Amino acid sequence: MLFRILKNSFLKRPRSIFLVFLSITMGAAVATSFLGIAGEISHKMSLELRSYGANILLEPSAVEGGGFLREVDLPKIKTVFWKYNITGFTPYLFGLVDLTAGTKHERAVITGSWFYKQLLVEGEEPSFQGIQVIAPWWELQGGMPQDADEAVVGASLARRLGVVLGSRVVALARGATKPFRVVGIVTTGGYEEEQFFAPLVTVQSLLGKMGKLSRVLVSAVTVPMDAFGKKDPAAMSKEEYEKWYCTAYVTSVAKNVEEVMAGSRAKPIWQIASAEGALLTKLNSVVLLLTLLALGASAIAVSTSLMASMAERSPEIALMKAIGADRLQISAIFLGETLIISLAGGIVGYLLGDQLAALISQSVFNSAIKSPLWLLPTAMVSAFAVALAGSAAPLRRAFLIEPVKVLKG
Amino acid sequence: MASMIIETAGLTKSYGEIRALKPLDLTVPEGEWLSVMGHSGSGKSTLLNLVGGLDRPTAGMLKVGGEDLLGRDEDGLARFRREFVGIIFQQHHLIPYLNALENVMLAQYFHSVPDEAEARSALERVGLGHRLKNRPGELSGGEQQRVCIARAIINSPRLLLGDEPTGNLDHGSTTMVLELLRELRVEERFTIIMVTHNQEVAAWGDRTIYLDDGVLVREEKKLVEG
Amino acid sequence: MQFVFKLIPQLIAWTIMVLLLLRGIPGRRRGVSLWAAGGFTMGVVGYALLARLASGTVPLGIIRCAVGGSFFLLWVVAVAAVYRSTVRDFPLVRVERFVESPFCAWGGGAIVGMVAGGISASLFPGSESGTVRFLVFSTLALAGVLLVVVARKVEWRLAPSIGVTPSSLPAVLVALLLFSSSSSLVLDLFSPLSMKVMKGTHDFVHQFMESILIPDHIFIRPAIWGYIGFLFGKEVGFWGGMVIWFFPVILISLAIYLEPLPSVAQIRQGAQRRRLLAAAISKKRRTLVIPAIALAALAGAAYRSSFPNVEYWDPKPLSVTATPAGELFIPRKGEVDLEDGRLHKYLYKQGGKEVRFFVLMTPAGKLTVVLDACAICKPDGYGQTEGMVLCYYCKTLIPLDTVGKPGGCNPVPVSFLEREDGVRLDALTLVNSWNRTVQTTTKSSGEGK
Repeated sequence: MLFRILKNSFLKRPRSIFLVFLSITMGAAVATSFLGIAGEISHKMSLELRSYGANILLEPSAVEGGGFLREVDLPKIKTVFWKYNITGFTPYLFGLVDLTAGTKHERAVITGSWFYKQLLVEGEEPSFQGIQVIAPWWELQGGMPQDADEAVVGASLARRLGVVLGSRVVALARGATKPFRVVGIVTTGGYEEEQFFAPLVTVQSLLGKMGKLSRVLVSAVTVPMDAFGKKDPAAMSKEEYEKWYCTAYVTSVAKNVEEVMAGSRAKPIWQIASAEGALLTKLNSVVLLLTLLALGASAIAVSTSLMASMAERSPEIALMKAIGADRLQISAIFLGETLIISLAGGIVGYLLGDQLAALISQSVFNSAIKSPLWLLPTAMVSAFAVALAGSAAPLRRAFLIEPVKVLKG
Repeated sequence: MASMIIETAGLTKSYGEIRALKPLDLTVPEGEWLSVMGHSGSGKSTLLNLVGGLDRPTAGMLKVGGEDLLGRDEDGLARFRREFVGIIFQQHHLIPYLNALENVMLAQYFHSVPDEAEARSALERVGLGHRLKNRPGELSGGEQQRVCIARAIINSPRLLLGDEPTGNLDHGSTTMVLELLRELRVEERFTIIMVTHNQEVAAWGDRTIYLDDGVLVREEKKLVEG
Repeated sequence: MQFVFKLIPQLIAWTIMVLLLLRGIPGRRRGVSLWAAGGFTMGVVGYALLARLASGTVPLGIIRCAVGGSFFLLWVVAVAAVYRSTVRDFPLVRVERFVESPFCAWGGGAIVGMVAGGISASLFPGSESGTVRFLVFSTLALAGVLLVVVARKVEWRLAPSIGVTPSSLPAVLVALLLFSSSSSLVLDLFSPLSMKVMKGTHDFVHQFMESILIPDHIFIRPAIWGYIGFLFGKEVGFWGGMVIWFFPVILISLAIYLEPLPSVAQIRQGAQRRRLLAAAISKKRRTLVIPAIALAALAGAAYRSSFPNVEYWDPKPLSVTATPAGELFIPRKGEVDLEDGRLHKYLYKQGGKEVRFFVLMTPAGKLTVVLDACAICKPDGYGQTEGMVLCYYCKTLIPLDTVGKPGGCNPVPVSFLEREDGVRLDALTLVNSWNRTVQTTTKSSGEGK
């Protein structure tokens, strides 16, 4: 009987049913996509952050020009106490050169670096280091240089020089020239687009700075900074210092690396280092909050449209009460109606939300998202929750209807 | 003497300042057809609502079927209405999106469980066997009122209340409805309390009471024939 | 502290079990509650004694058997219930007489109590001193007995309409026992069940294909291979396990649902007839509440089994003893499977010294043995999370690949010999290595975390 009532009621009032359905679907869709992304976000963001992940910058401690780091110290980075937490590092040497490609001339920064270099350290397993490890987010057209005379050009520099893949560029510095073949054009959205990248050795010899480095970027897995980590190591007791030293805070890893690179000063790159820990939790709570807000909003929408239809249906409710329906039976009819709508809304919302999540993931992380199975029950539950929350006020109103007043005359 | 199905003493109902029903003492024996007459605003509908458990008195004693209705909460009153009372209104209050059969079954559903065969035979008894699947909008006034009667008697109530059940009907339909009620009363043995302002309709009852401004002013008893 | 938190769901489940036992056997409230309380105490004491006299694995094995056996019994009950509700004359009068006898009621109460008590007791980590252990176990037994009293009081107030039938009582009891046992990875039955299903399907399909079909048979198209591939997947185990897990209780619900309504045709008045029918239907619905609770408990158990409620995989160290030659041997496939990718902790005692170490198969597929401590931190030990082990002291995550390499906060490697059947260690080397690396840092600390 209940289903007969509901079926006929649905057929009779398609418009208001549709409004409720729409609100619930929206709520479920938003919840699905947000939560789906939130689940993925922690994962993706940590990968993404890891890729922005050079979180320690090593520079020469002598600030006034001239100072350089020594290339020979580099392998020591893989032997420090925190060696397993250091996922990658890349040396850089900067200099100014005049570039000539065809008829065009440009003055630009040349950067010597490792791209994907196998590093052999005695007693350790061989590892690969370089830009490809530490900056995987580079959008590279072409490939990384393999030979000493191959180079990667920043996108805007390439535009000004009018070079394409395979073009020849001649670099002039201190009177010496060196021809390069362009094998890659890089887009990063940052200063790299103005630079000219070539293998470290080549640049060192071009600039006459054999074995010298301007800076080293290190990427390390670290523990999120907390109050203890921010304490000044100098002011710690012996036991505290011991604990601080053996905790992988970015500061302690930085200090560790600094010790092996002669004449260096290590600076944690704070925005990224702290981002790793704090940002993720914040981001997740923001997403959760947004989800709750969206669900709340759709509950309000459900409530409003149910309220309106309740006013329209008050004679009907009064009549049901008059012929003996108690509150449970009234709720069964009206909640049953909303719950059926929310069932449909939940499923449709899940499908929509899934698409939405895929879309967002595609545009933000540039990768396909595999929607986890638990999102379907989540969508259903949030649809039910929205329906129930939205029904509370209208149902209360239905309870308050007095048949005597409504049915009079 | 038959047992009393309704007993009131000092029954009062006020809406704010207005006293719709002044202290009223009334007894109705089981099986009687009682007509209640009076102008509009005389308190006759109020009396009917109180007796039917649709409203609560402000003061006084009200016993229906030997039980004090004041002791019941809202859901208790709902249970009382579905198990003890059948109500027919002036306007044929039917659920617009349910057909005749489903409207009757709705009362069964609230009472216990729906039983389609039984609902169908109830509609056949009121002469609507051919219009089971019609929605209220497709039925005439008299037919709608007969659906209401079928719905009112489906749960075998001991008390049938009519609030001007023929108020909107033409003469022919009125007679038909009243005739039907008389027949059903013989079979089902319920008590009828019918509010009307039509002398002719009132005359169908065994007894007529006259209310004026919430006070019982006159009482007429029909001589029992035979 | 963690022990107390783990215990709360157990004790709640125990209370519900007693409550439903009392409701299900209304004639013998006194006897049932006495036997149940006694059973719980017995369970706790028995666990404590057996764990002390033999080793921790003996009582755990007994509990596993008891829970598994009860689940098997539930299948029998379920089939019988369905049979009975569809076929009126059920020829098992003798069995029924036995089921209704006081022995069955008391024995049931006692057995349920013992298993529940044993499970609760097994959650205690148990590396404490004898006095502490005694206090904990006696408090636990007392709590169990007190909860029996509480359950009696609650049952008294519970709505009389919630009825327990002879088939729904075992269903809910077994379900709650399974829920209880799912709290510990050792006692859990759902995961082994799905594993068995997976292996069984695997073997069956394998043999079927080998005996009947040739791989490149013309009827086997790529799409079909896809389905066959599915049969080898992990999902088969999970879903097959789910079916076996829930089916008996669903059968019992079905049996209750199928039980015929009272015949009301002889009542002439429609309203009265319908009222009787409605009463019967609502009674039946309320009877279904109990199987619903059982289903919820089973779902809870399956959930807890699939997502174990341990933040870090951190097994209790198993005690090992050395051979007279001073050699420790850890079998590759013993009571623990060394190759399951999880770390397995062991405890070796020698002359008042305790050495903790763990064995782990790295993702690269190499067995490694390391101390449960690093060279610098306090030896709070390690737990395992996805792809990492975590140092409890400094919360540093260490990639699994690097476990076994020295340095950093990595656990200190131990030299060992890998054999076909397991891992061999030299006890003296182990103790020395612990003393060398750990002792210097333990000066201030007590043990534990």
